Formats: sequence, structure tokens, C-alpha cells
Amino acid sequence: MLIFTVKRLSLMILTMLIVSLLLFVLLELQPGNVATKVLGPYSSEEQRTLWLEANGYLEPVWTRYLSWLSGILTGDFGDSIRFKVPVADVLWPRLWNTAILGFWTFAILVPLSLTLGVLAGMREGSALDRAISITSIITTSVPEFASAVFLSAIFVFALGVLPGTSGMTDGFDPLQLFLPVMVLILYDVGYVTRMTRASMAEVMTTPYIRTAVLKGLPFSRVVFRHALRNALIAPFTVIMLQVNWLLSGVIVVEFFFAYKGFGGLILEASLNQDIYLIEACTMVAVFVAVSTQTLADIGYTYLNPRIRLA
Amino acid sequence: MTQEDKTTHPHIPELVNQLKKGEIDRRQFVQSAAVLGVSAAAAYAMVGAMPRKAHAQGTPKFGGNLRVSMNVKDVSDPATFDWGEKGNVVRHVVEPLVQVDKNNVAQPHLAESWEASGDLKTWTFNLRKGVKWSNGDEFGSDDVIANFERWLDPATGSSNQGRFSAMTETVDTGEKDEDGKAKMSTRMAPGVLERVDAHTVRFNLTRADLSLPESMADYPALITHRSFEGGDLKENGIGTGAFSFDRFGIGEIAVLKKRAEAHWNGDVYLDKITYVDNGDDPAAEIAAFASGQIDTNYQSSVEQVPTLKKLPSIEVMQAITAQTGVARMKVTEAPFDDIRVRQAIQACLDRPRILEIVYSGLGAVGYDDHVAPVHPDHAELPPLKQDYAKAKRLLAEAGHANGLKIKIDCVANPSWEQNTCKAIAEMLKPAGIDMEINVMPGGTYWDRWKSTPFGFTAWSHRPLGVQVLNLAYRSGVAWNETSYNNPMFDELLNKAGGLADVNERRKVMAEVQGVLRDDAVIAQTFFRSVFVARSTRVKNIYAHVALEHHYNKTWLA
Repeated sequence: MLIFTVKRLSLMILTMLIVSLLLFVLLELQPGNVATKVLGPYSSEEQRTLWLEANGYLEPVWTRYLSWLSGILTGDFGDSIRFKVPVADVLWPRLWNTAILGFWTFAILVPLSLTLGVLAGMREGSALDRAISITSIITTSVPEFASAVFLSAIFVFALGVLPGTSGMTDGFDPLQLFLPVMVLILYDVGYVTRMTRASMAEVMTTPYIRTAVLKGLPFSRVVFRHALRNALIAPFTVIMLQVNWLLSGVIVVEFFFAYKGFGGLILEASLNQDIYLIEACTMVAVFVAVSTQTLADIGYTYLNPRIRLA
Repeated sequence: MTQEDKTTHPHIPELVNQLKKGEIDRRQFVQSAAVLGVSAAAAYAMVGAMPRKAHAQGTPKFGGNLRVSMNVKDVSDPATFDWGEKGNVVRHVVEPLVQVDKNNVAQPHLAESWEASGDLKTWTFNLRKGVKWSNGDEFGSDDVIANFERWLDPATGSSNQGRFSAMTETVDTGEKDEDGKAKMSTRMAPGVLERVDAHTVRFNLTRADLSLPESMADYPALITHRSFEGGDLKENGIGTGAFSFDRFGIGEIAVLKKRAEAHWNGDVYLDKITYVDNGDDPAAEIAAFASGQIDTNYQSSVEQVPTLKKLPSIEVMQAITAQTGVARMKVTEAPFDDIRVRQAIQACLDRPRILEIVYSGLGAVGYDDHVAPVHPDHAELPPLKQDYAKAKRLLAEAGHANGLKIKIDCVANPSWEQNTCKAIAEMLKPAGIDMEINVMPGGTYWDRWKSTPFGFTAWSHRPLGVQVLNLAYRSGVAWNETSYNNPMFDELLNKAGGLADVNERRKVMAEVQGVLRDDAVIAQTFFRSVFVARSTRVKNIYAHVALEHHYNKTWLA
């Protein structure tokens, strides 16, 4: 288990190193481009050269890459062009806001979709299964930008019970979280439900479940004691993958509700060609992606002993 | 009146005469009189009509926080502002000498009054006495002179250099550029600024300039304290305005709070003004209105108006303006360096139709001269007609008989801009011109608006026709995005700017507008009205022609 964990962690670090190298090559290999992005298109050649010299861009590529990398490791991402402050000053608060959004999304999404999935999967083909499956497919097929409009139309315009934007200008307001969280859940709940259902249905057809039923155990006992643990292995990985999805999925939701989070930040950074901010956001996104993947792998082995041997 | 007589401009009696004969209308009279230093109240008194008071809105109430939806941009240095939004935040902290009111008339602000000499080359500005900076200093001539010196310094990079081009001279720097031509530099002409006393500044212009008071009302011409030398105004923080910076985050929020000291212009009702950045999604702003999170906004697009009108307790205010968008062609870049190509594009357009399609007809038709019917100096020229035969002939002459492919850069929002491009593209097709529309975010476009060969640029309102022409089409000025360079045009523009008589000026403007049209550097199809939404609890607020925010007298019910 220890060797496995170490292996996984080193793979994770390797992935991040490769991504950082790619990112550097794409954005910073030609120093002239960086100077233009930072100083603007009307800067003179002379100004750009001076800037490049002052910021160490005339050094060899490897030296630059290593100092850039060490900057990132110590949390120094450079200054944002758009926000005129160090990248870290906007990045961490924005990431925290998205974490709040993500936390509430998962806090509701996970129990809800697992319950629905288990209910649907334990009696495959029943009326309840059909109802849950069809609803899941419908909610999953409505994209976030459509459900955002739809939910706003109901709760903001028709009923007038929820705030229409979630800028949190007067400090944290839980009411402003409702709509963004609802949109995210609505989109994702169907998918996780269906994965859980499939896994549960598969487990319910295994011989040991049949044995348990035939030896006269109550159905609830069969489900809770025998089926559930095995049925939850697949959904666990799926749920971990949703963390990744969330990080990009929030772009639409944050834009629509003017929520000041990480998704909105990525969008603004790319639209404004804010090079250091793009780099920082990408590294954070990659970090989240590989670390959830690693966690999923480790958790998976814990849940399913057969994999440990492999 | 007797007191006015002593200081009024010699042209005023002539104006009164023209008004009596019906050669100019009342609005034009008040506008012209105001330019020449007659206060609006006095001008209205001369024509025998008082401006209608803002309709009775009850007794003003103190307190409250006005929440405004608007993009919050970097506001470090007013001298280099290039967006009206920036001016709106900062105008409540530092103020201009002159303010253009909702009727498009220049009103005294930090300047109490001004007089112009008969040749419009010497202007004396009497500054308001008793105005205190927030650090306790007395506002006066030194502040004004320090600002002008900084604006006109080429190192500042301020658009005010073009705005006040009558105060500059172009000199040979002694250096040569790559082509061996002498490098020229524009700087403040000697003797332009004259400090008469602590509260009087005289401007000795190098040529006549009629629009000096209006230029002083533009958003980059906010007067900062004499100690401000660029950098970040939020750190310097010294202002004459009724508000000071409280909280600020680009892309998020700007909060201004009322200063404890009394404002020179009397009561200020609001405690706070909060600018909220709702991003670029218009749906977010409408939702924020619907749920009462904001009270007003910067502007609403014409498409949003029907939706907003359906919301309870939201009202849409309209202002007829000289705002427009120009599909401008850079005359130094192929294929637009060929005047026949530009004229062919011009000949393809059915302008009234574009206004109808894109803007529901809410505006005035434009004919490539960038002077609007709301401008007092606008000359009515024969309309340009759609003429495909002419367009095809011109294209063939220019060597594009088999068609021409061009690409226009255009911002994604507001949508009327790309819609105009789409309408233009459709009208160009029959002549064999294939126009691709390269839609991009605002930030990206404004990084290249002066350098792209072909781009669609939105221009804000300016009170006089000569003003915008000075800014955008005079050779070599900072905002000349087309690189248009026509000495004859510059000469005519100088002439027009030197005429106080609206009728005389209009005759020269006919020539100015004609030259600009014939040179076809822009395809400018309409002037649009602007819309601002407000909650009905906001009182004493209006849609300003240039979308300026003047909230000192605004209050919340």
C-alpha cells in the first residue's frame, strides 16, 4: 500500500512537471510575446527590451524555466495584468469562493444521487427505476446555461424569492448560493445517479446476492449489508472525477450569476490574455485534477482489495 | 443682465438676433451661449424660457447606498482614462472644471465661469473659490496648471493632448527614425498657460478653439490635486468631490463613501455609491434588477429594453446622442490604402435600413462624417445612397473585379456593434466583397483598436461636432485610429473651430463633413440613442448623453 501510494504520488508530480513545461513553452518561450502582453501593443521596442532585461527574460531558457517553477512552488505567480495586483491576491480568494460553491454542491449532490441510484438499481425495471432513470436523463441533457436561465425565470422573475446574481458584494450571503448550486446539482445529479444505478443493478445480479435473498434475509438487510459496499466502488471514482468537472463546469455558472469564483477568473484571464494569471489558473486546475485522481486511485484500492494485488 | 453684459462674448447679441429670426432654435442658442461663457440659467432667461425643473420628485432624503451595475476597470490615472466607466467612478472623487449637463449644455463646475476673446484664442477661466481638497488645501490655479502641464507632456500618454491640441506644438526632436525622417514630438506650446491669480487661469491658444469648455468636461480631464503625478489615484486619494474611495477591486466592486466635510455644491444625499461588476453577461444584470440587487446601471442595450420594461418598479431612461460606431479603415494598410476600395464599401450601404434592422430605428442615420444631428454645428448634406453599380466599378478599377475578401475586428458586446457589422457584411455581398467578422472580447479589441487594418469602434458622445473630429480624424493625434492624414481637412477643421457663429460654422462644417465623407475612412451608418435603467426608488437621476454619472444630487426614496 505504501509503495502504491509513493508510486501514485510520484506519477502525480511527474504529470504536473510535464504540464508546467508545456505551459511554459506555449506561453513564455518567446520573451517578446510576454513583453507585448504585459506592456501592451503600443509599447516601443526599447521599452520591451528594457522590461525583458529587468525581468530576467534574456537568461537561457532553462534558467528561466527553473526560476519560474520555483516561483510557482513558493506561491509567487507574478503580477496579474488585468487586476494590477499579485496573482496570488486574486487567485486564492477566488478559489476559496469556488470551494464554497463546490462544497455545497457536493454536500447535496452525493447523498442525493447515491440514494436515487441505489433506489433505482436495487429493483431494476421497476416503476421507481424507470421514473428515476428518465428524470436523470432529462436533467443531464439540459446544459447549465439553459437550466440557469430556466431556474432564474422561475425563482427570480416569476416568484421573486431568490437573488438573481451572486456577486456577494455585501459579504457572504447564503441565499445567493442557492441558484448556482441548484444549477450545478441539476446538471450532475442525473449522471452520478445513473452510474450508481448501473453499479447497483450489476451487484444485484451477482450470485452472492441471490444466495442472500434465497436464504431468506430481509431485502433491506440484503441491500445494506451485502450490496451497498460493493455497489459504491464505481460511484466513488465517478464522484472524484466530478471535482474536476466542477472546476471547469463552474465557468458557465459563475459567468451567468456573476459569481466571483475560479471559473469566472479563468474566463477573464483568457479573454484578457492575462498571461501570469492563465499560468497560475492552469497549474491550480492541473493540481486539482491529478490530486483528485490520485485520491480516487488510493481510495479505490482501499474499497476494493483485489486491486491492491495488481 | 447688466452684469452679464460686461463680460459676455461679443457674439452673444448676434446669437440673440439669430434666435429672433429663427435661424437657430432655442437649444442651439443655449448651447452656443453656454460655450461662450453665459451661464445656462442666464441663457434660458434671454430666450425667455426657464429649463423645466426635474419633475417634482418629493423632498430629497438623506442616506442610502446607490448600487450601480457597471464594469469596474483600473482607475489609477484619470489622465490616461480610455473608458467612460472609469470616469464615472472617479468623477465623484475628483471633478472636472466643466460638466456637460443632460441637455448637452456645458455648465460651470470647478470653474465658476469663463470668457473667450473675440477670436476664440484667449480663454479666461475663473475658478470657484472656497473649494477645499480633502487634505485641506484650497483648490486653485496651481492645480489646474499642474494638470494641464501633465496632460500635455507626451510622456504622460494622455488623450488630452489631442483634446487640447490648440495648446500644443509639434517640434523636431533632432532624432531620426528608421526611414531617416525626423522624429517629431508634440508638446505644450510656450506661454499657453497663464496664471492670472490664485483663482484665474488664462489659456493663450495657438489657434481658435470653440470646444474648449466641452473638452474640459470630457472624462480624462478630471482635475487632480497638484501633488498627483500619475501612479495610483486611490493611493493619493485627494479630491474635491463629495465622495472618497472606500473599497476597490478591478472586475468586482468599487465603493465610494460620502466625505464627512460639506461639498462646495451643497447637500449630497447618498451615503454610499457601490459599483458592482456583473461581468459581460447581460442576463446577469437583468436578473440583478429583477431581484432588487442593483438600482441602476451604466447602460442597457436596445435588445434589453423590452425585457426591462416588463419588470415591475424598473424604468428605462433614454437619451438621444451623438454616440455611434464606425467601421473604420486604416488608410495605411492594404486594401484600405486604396480610396476606391473604401468608397466602394461606402457605396454598398443602405443606412436607414441598417438603423432599422440593428437598432429598431431608435437613433439618427449617419453618413460617414461622424457629425450628428444633435450637434449644433451639424450641416445637413445630401444623403448617401446605396449604389452597387458604382461600388462594382470602383472595385474593378482598384483591381478587385473578381471580388475582395476583408476581415473586420469587432467586440462581442454590446451586441449592436457586431449586429451592425453583420448588416454591413450582408450589404457588401452583392458587390462581391466578402467581409468576415472577427468577434473578440472588449479587452482584446481595445488592445488593438488603433492598429488593426479594419475594425468597428464605438465612439461616445461629445457635445460639439468639431470636438470628435479633432479627436479622431486630425492628423497625428493619439486617437486617430484610421491614420487619416489630410492637411486640407485639418485646415478646414481649424477654420470651423474658430467660428463662434453657429451658422457660419455650419457652412464650414459642410465642407469639413464633405471632405471626410469623400475620403471614406469610415463607414458610419447611424447615431444611436442610449438607455439606462433605474429602479423607481432612485430619484433625480437621468440618462446622460455620454453615459456620465452625476450622482451628487441623486437620492433614494
